[in-house]
Amino acid sequence: MIADDATLTHLAGLAQQGDKAAYGALLGAARQWLVRYYRRRVMPDQLDDLVQESLLSVHRKLASYDPARSFAPWLAAIARYRFVDHLRLVYRRAEDELDADFHADDSDEPAIVARISLERLFEALPASQQRAIELVKISGLSISEASATTGQSESLIKVNIHRGIKRLAALIERG
Amino acid sequence: MPDNTENLIAGLVADLKPVAPLRKRAGMALAMIALGAGVTGMVLLVGLRADLRSGEPDPIALISGDLFLVLALASFWAVADMARPYVGVRREGWGWTALMAGVLPAAALVLLATTWLHGEPTQLALNGRDCLLFGLGWGMLSAAAQVWWLRRGAPSRPERAGLLVGVGAGAAGIFAVSLYCPHSDLVHIGVWHGLTVVLAGLFGRIAVPRLIAW
Repeated sequence: MIADDATLTHLAGLAQQGDKAAYGALLGAARQWLVRYYRRRVMPDQLDDLVQESLLSVHRKLASYDPARSFAPWLAAIARYRFVDHLRLVYRRAEDELDADFHADDSDEPAIVARISLERLFEALPASQQRAIELVKISGLSISEASATTGQSESLIKVNIHRGIKRLAALIERG
Repeated sequence: MPDNTENLIAGLVADLKPVAPLRKRAGMALAMIALGAGVTGMVLLVGLRADLRSGEPDPIALISGDLFLVLALASFWAVADMARPYVGVRREGWGWTALMAGVLPAAALVLLATTWLHGEPTQLALNGRDCLLFGLGWGMLSAAAQVWWLRRGAPSRPERAGLLVGVGAGAAGIFAVSLYCPHSDLVHIGVWHGLTVVLAGLFGRIAVPRLIAW
């Protein structure tokens, strides 16, 4: 059963102060809400990934929650943004596949340069984060396939991708 | 599926650290500091208009400058709130303010049309391009501050946020320029100063969303 909004609002305020028990309860309730929200909007095989992406967004953007307001509209805005972003990615992927068919004979040079740049950046990451990003974000494996390949649990793969990308972003911004 | 998500939640809970909620006033203060820096920089670089220095401000220049200032503040306020996503929140105050400031270019166009109909020379000042370029340049300070603020938050409507960043930055930049700009005729102000805000809004709408994606 999903807790009422007043309870969630209280839990979110405590979570911002670093209360881990409250945060665990909050994420559990948020997960239930997100499953219901996405179930009507995406294919069943995409549901799990989208819920987990949204929970990661909740984690990364917790500071953007205003404890003086209700929690549910904030979570709904996060879910809607992730859903729109998901649609955009699906659209781009379909477009890239079409584009790849058109340019099958083009030079691979940009891809090679990008690969070299990435490998330089990867040197700053722990091996587990490198592997998780490489398998899922570059090779295109699913979370479960990457988990089976590396022996890391699926949740650890997600956490490693999240932390690795955060670190890469910081490295790129620092130049 | 449930076990994986449970594990993810456990990982996130273990990773939790206390966070300070983003305060709207902090975002507003940041944009105001950038606006103040732009105004100070402009005044130190080129000084004030003669009528302001003499303590006898021109009414048209004063009113139009204040209109752009109010538009900048209304846009800053909306952007400061956009860093905190909420479904169902309406932020329309800036739109009414933009409409109010839109009176200036509308009046300028009417004046241009009537002078053209009467066969008189138009009053478009030649150095309007300087106002445009300096306005966009000084506006970059406000834009940078607002983008930094939005990147800390989670703007759920990046296109709207980008437009508002541009409008606010353009209005802030042209307010700074209006303290120096020697032209106080309505046509110059409506066309060139108004165009600065419009162009800045377009730039913001195009460039900012990719900078604030999360």
